[in-house]
Amino acid sequence: MRAPLSAAARAQFRTTIRCSVFATTNLPDLMSGTRLRSLGRLVASLLVAAPAALVAQQPADAQANVSGVVLNDANGAPIPGVAIAVKGTSRGAMTSDDGRFNIIVGSLQDTLVARRIGFAQVTVPLDGRSTVEIRLHATAVALSEVVTVGYGTQKRSDITGAVGSLSAEKIAEKPTANVTQALEGQMAGVNVTTTGAGAESQMSIRIRGRASITASASPLVIVDGLPYEGSLSEIDPNDIASLEVLKDASSTAIYGSRAANGVILVTTRRGKAGGPPRITYSSYAGTQHIANLPRPMSGAEFAQFKCDRLSGGTNCATVLTATEQANVDAGTYTDWLGLATRTGDQMQHNLSVSGSQGGASYYVGGSYLDANGVARGDDFKRYLLRGNLDIKLRDWLTLGTSTNLVYSDRSGMADDFSAAYFMNPLTNAYDANGNLTLYPWSEDVFWGNPLANSLVVDDNTTKRIFSSNYALVTIPWVKGLTYRLNVGGDVARNEVGNFWGRNTQTGFSNGGQALTSTSARTNWTAENILRYTRTFGPHSIDFTGLFSAEGQNYTVSSLRTDGLPNDVLTYHQPGTALFYFPDESVTERRLRSTMARANYNYNDRYLATVTERRDCASVFTAGNKCALFPAIAAGWNISNEAFYPFRNWVNLLKLRTSYGSSGNQGITPYSTLPQMDSYPYVNNGATAPGYRPISLGQSNLRWETTNALDAGLDFGIRNDRVRGTIDVYSRWTRDLLLNQLIPPQYGVTHIVNNVGRTKNTGAELELSSLNARVRGVEWRSDFNISYNRNRIVSLLSNGNDRGNQWFIGMPIDVNYGYKFDGIFQDAAEIAASAQKTAKPGDVRILDANGDGKIDANDQTFIGSTEPKYIAGFTNSLTWKGVQLSAQLQSVQGITRSNDLMGSNLVQAGVRRNTIPHEYWTPENHTNSYPANNETSNPLSVPFYEDASFIRLRDVTLAWNLPDAYTSRIGADRLKVYLTGRNLWTKTGWHGLDPELDAQRSIPLEKTYVGGLTVTF
Amino acid sequence: MINMRLNGRVLVVLAIPLLAGIAACGKDFLVEDPKNIITAENLYTNLAGFDAGLNAIYAQVRREHQGRSGTNELFQEPFILGTDIGYANYVSTTERIFNEWGIRNNSTADVYNDLWLWLYQIINASNTIVGRAENPAIAWSATDKNRVLGEARLLRAWAYRHLVYSFGPVPLMLEESTGDNIRYDWQRTPVAEIRAQMEQDLLFAEANLPLVPPNDGRVGKAVAEHYLAELYLAMGDPVKADTMASRVINSGVYSLVTARYGVKRSQPGVPFMDQFENGNVDRSQGNTEVLWAFLYAKGIPGGGASIMRRYWANRYYNNKGVAVSEENGGRGIGRMTPTRWSLGIYEPTDDRGSYFAIRKFYLYNDSLNLPAGKKLGDTLKTRILARQKINDALWPTTRKWDYTDPTDINGDEGYKDEPYLRLADTYLLLAEAQLKEGRPDLAAPTINIVRARSNASAITAADVTLDFILDERAREFMGEEERRETLIRTGTLLPRIRAYNDTASKTIVERDTIFPIPQSVIDANTGRVMEQNPGY
Repeated sequence: MRAPLSAAARAQFRTTIRCSVFATTNLPDLMSGTRLRSLGRLVASLLVAAPAALVAQQPADAQANVSGVVLNDANGAPIPGVAIAVKGTSRGAMTSDDGRFNIIVGSLQDTLVARRIGFAQVTVPLDGRSTVEIRLHATAVALSEVVTVGYGTQKRSDITGAVGSLSAEKIAEKPTANVTQALEGQMAGVNVTTTGAGAESQMSIRIRGRASITASASPLVIVDGLPYEGSLSEIDPNDIASLEVLKDASSTAIYGSRAANGVILVTTRRGKAGGPPRITYSSYAGTQHIANLPRPMSGAEFAQFKCDRLSGGTNCATVLTATEQANVDAGTYTDWLGLATRTGDQMQHNLSVSGSQGGASYYVGGSYLDANGVARGDDFKRYLLRGNLDIKLRDWLTLGTSTNLVYSDRSGMADDFSAAYFMNPLTNAYDANGNLTLYPWSEDVFWGNPLANSLVVDDNTTKRIFSSNYALVTIPWVKGLTYRLNVGGDVARNEVGNFWGRNTQTGFSNGGQALTSTSARTNWTAENILRYTRTFGPHSIDFTGLFSAEGQNYTVSSLRTDGLPNDVLTYHQPGTALFYFPDESVTERRLRSTMARANYNYNDRYLATVTERRDCASVFTAGNKCALFPAIAAGWNISNEAFYPFRNWVNLLKLRTSYGSSGNQGITPYSTLPQMDSYPYVNNGATAPGYRPISLGQSNLRWETTNALDAGLDFGIRNDRVRGTIDVYSRWTRDLLLNQLIPPQYGVTHIVNNVGRTKNTGAELELSSLNARVRGVEWRSDFNISYNRNRIVSLLSNGNDRGNQWFIGMPIDVNYGYKFDGIFQDAAEIAASAQKTAKPGDVRILDANGDGKIDANDQTFIGSTEPKYIAGFTNSLTWKGVQLSAQLQSVQGITRSNDLMGSNLVQAGVRRNTIPHEYWTPENHTNSYPANNETSNPLSVPFYEDASFIRLRDVTLAWNLPDAYTSRIGADRLKVYLTGRNLWTKTGWHGLDPELDAQRSIPLEKTYVGGLTVTF
Repeated sequence: MINMRLNGRVLVVLAIPLLAGIAACGKDFLVEDPKNIITAENLYTNLAGFDAGLNAIYAQVRREHQGRSGTNELFQEPFILGTDIGYANYVSTTERIFNEWGIRNNSTADVYNDLWLWLYQIINASNTIVGRAENPAIAWSATDKNRVLGEARLLRAWAYRHLVYSFGPVPLMLEESTGDNIRYDWQRTPVAEIRAQMEQDLLFAEANLPLVPPNDGRVGKAVAEHYLAELYLAMGDPVKADTMASRVINSGVYSLVTARYGVKRSQPGVPFMDQFENGNVDRSQGNTEVLWAFLYAKGIPGGGASIMRRYWANRYYNNKGVAVSEENGGRGIGRMTPTRWSLGIYEPTDDRGSYFAIRKFYLYNDSLNLPAGKKLGDTLKTRILARQKINDALWPTTRKWDYTDPTDINGDEGYKDEPYLRLADTYLLLAEAQLKEGRPDLAAPTINIVRARSNASAITAADVTLDFILDERAREFMGEEERRETLIRTGTLLPRIRAYNDTASKTIVERDTIFPIPQSVIDANTGRVMEQNPGY
């Protein structure tokens, strides 16, 4: 008798069963949905229909039998998968795993054609032979590369999705401290922006525009199979073997929930089996110079400006304070920016050894980076040790690790550029004793010394272990079945100690202030991957199943203390403080996933991929935690078809298409809870604890989902002399997770909500070509351009949402506000305008709705903040061992407000400096900038500019020394190079830099670097 | 071929992840368990939790004397600038609105958005308490519960009072906000309906709050009665206003300060100003007049920081030879300044117009920058010009907010407690009620109680007019009173600005007598057009 189960118990039982089964395989779960069944049918039909179609082409009238083998001419290894065709007929065959083939020919005088992607095509007249040996020469073509894809690798030729790839050689071409820099301008659809300059620059990566505008518009970064958080500057570019960018839904769907913004896969170097130990030393050193720094006014200019603004240029003596007047009288002034900057420098040393011994192969690398930026005090040191090991313990068991130990030292506080920009030049940086003044302007003590950061004690170090480990089991019972366990952890601890002594404004007013904080991140991942790879005749199958779990814990604890007895013990005296302000935060998130993927390849011609991933994330409420992300893709290597006629011209032609979905769970943990904020009061001089509502509970929050359709074409022309890729795509995002403004009468301004749908459409082109080879000189070009258009399709409200600045049909992120419409020149113009009380010289605001008055309804669009086009163009000339290459990068179609142009930033009474402007005057009727007074721009209308630019990102001259020289020092290879970065920029932008977020911040650097790489 | 030992090992290796997988399958693996986050669910479970909720509201209310952004943008500004008693001497973006009105006074100005949000934050916090107090699982006495409800409802009424005076009809929110009850089709509730709710809330508070609160930072019965008196005046019911104001005056607990007391009693001074001295503000420090004070403490969480002195003190240090000092009143930035008219309405004998209440001179104290002919300790007199001007470092100002942290002369923050509501105010509300009741004969003696304390001459019933009472309020509450709201209540804003504020008189129009509904409110109301106030 079976006891009846309650519904709840049955559900519980199902969960338990599923979980235990999924620990090793997740098939049943994935196959449970009807959607899966239909996908399954699709795979089945592909499996059956494709070969059936081809069988029809097999010849019937046999006359002679020819057998042979195809070998790699470099090492004599057999090459499987080579298509053998009888010239002039439709007969064909394919080499087997051992490179052998059999083919039926009409006569032994026929000619065979052997071709395989990655090898030069060979024509072999039989000349009566019935057995032949064909040797193929590998062409250095991307399509023969093995590229990393999610949870595995694939041959480039087998890939069905849109995957960009950057090899170690490309990365090594330019010396970079940060891997992200290596991506700049290199791939279509990948927009790398320097959002903050400095010794450790801040960079953002956007793949195919912006689908969502939550905090996580950034792609998912996977390093050696594990999710990576934080700055990529904690990875040594020298250690990287390849960088892949997954762009379309098919390739990203296997990362499901976090892949909606694309995925970047970083693979580090490993030892190669069989080779001798290889020792590489590389080093570079260079200097950094400010690329562009708009100049604030000098002392004399400032005095005149202040006088003009406050007294109409008449009564200058009355407007200056004593300190200012003294400087004017003495003819002195302070160049605050000059004092805050320096010539930067950077150097890096890297030593690595790789090789193999017995069953173990290894890559061990260590490096030291020391960068000192152009801003005084902006220093970054990185010590890094990497050990990558693979040990084959048994035939069926391999263990391995990729472990990165990092010690980063960010100590030192960069000078405050914003303060230096604004600081009155007619004040004094130093006192009579040569010490920094506490208050440079004694009449206006609001302003501390902008250079005071150099007096602040700032210790800031991070220790990090990032370790990805695996065990690979070749299951002995089933041929082609492997099981892989990945277990990894990322443990980082950042410790900051700050002290503001009494020689700083902060320290002076608080009797010394100390701040210590420790943040600890612990991320772990466990993945079970079952893989089955088999080739049956022309059919190749590659099945991957995954069950994984991830956890993240981030804890920050800090202590601020005020009122410290002395400045000597800096922050090491918390016990003696008068006032204590401790704080702590803990955030945790979890993710559980199952995934299955099947790749099918028929004869290197027909390719199909089916993927399904199910993710469950802790950040959503019960009932909304899980989501399914299916994808399907197909590829057709047209040029591998026997009937393909244009082989001589277009040696490679491949069509790809994919459709699928990926998700975004980029909300902060606890977003769905009604959180309260500590907001205490005071009672009899003691704290009275208080809490106020700061966020609203949300029971319905769901995953954001992006469905994407991609179609791509890969081609090679004239034996890969020109190689290219074209992709077009559309991405539809629904349930967009946005921080939405709600009616403020709720007492809370924002709520994370699923607010609507967006669409991205775009096109990408990548071209590489060998343009010319004349007398030993090779000229190669790499070009990429991409276009992306983003628009909002629908919103929660039926129409536009002006409060959030979301407008149907417009990009998600637009500039919106009052628009500058020139300058009023005379009374007649004013009388005819919407600003009747204006004066000549005042800013004219665009009366956008033409109703004759200026109000909130006149706010309007002023361009998109996302680029329309991005492009990269690299040219290189090689002659013998010498290579000269230059990279241009272009970003077009961005509009931004240039804050340096603001006309009211000097504050009433002129307390701040600004850059010189051409003001409207009764004599100078400019139409671009208002009169120099406090009322000429009543609504502080910003000044928008086109932030498009073309930049000479990188120029490198490298010399690979000839063997004759290298052998003298016993080296295999020796390369020396010189590089310049950011040498030239063309832009209409008048601020600090069109790329940087803040225009009063550390400026972008021109960098000159010289380096060498030697391999033994 | 495949040996059994190998198979055994493979099985063992395969079993490890199986176990790991099961760990991740635990029922709670995906359940969020915040470790250091308070939510409404785990806070409002006992009396202490509700008191913590109230403390946060008091800390919010105190922001009226704090900055909207750090030590900038004093929340009090919109209630005083651009009235008959206040103008902005040194201006930034917000202050220009109230000096110049015109195009600057529009719905996108930050000040209105901030004002709206601040008051509704208080309302939502109060609503949360009011709603959750009905949870039957809470074990507390009826007295405790009603006291909590009384405070929460009084503070809610306080916020609606500001809202109605500032914006007119506004959405009436009485329930806790949650992510699941968000609407985008709000309408403005008529003022009468909001006032009816305020009356209920204040009457409940009056019935359930203790006569004297546990400290001056919290509200008691008298505060409820005071605001009821004002509400009834606004509603045109002077009889009830009279009753309520009289209850406060006759409570036997509060009385005007009429004699010197406290920390500076042995130094020259006047009784009127003693109640503003650091160390004198609280009832426990001898102040009999304070109904409600804002409390501060330096260097502790919740201690807060006032910027009243920063905003009210002038930039006298722009005068050569005069540097920031405690004696000179501490460091101010002169954003808020008494109008020319309001400085000229004192009899010579009136303590409220004396040097102790209004800055008449500064001391030369900067030896390095002394002007020719001056020596340390000489005085630099302030003066009142024929017309107000801006950027005037010699314009007089009130001394009520003078305070300097002795360890930080240049500091922006103030830590002395501040009177927020005083019994003198209740007296003048009573006088107004008496006048409205047609009894100027009763109003005159009421006003004289306030005047006598400051040595102003006695008036007679014939002197009592609404304008006189408003003038008296200006004399008594310079820098304290939410003046704009008084003038709106009495319907006198426009004429009095035109008559008494040189800076704003030319540009103020009828439209400016009510603030625009913030554009953020209109824009977020995507489901229905929310009506803007006329003229904007």
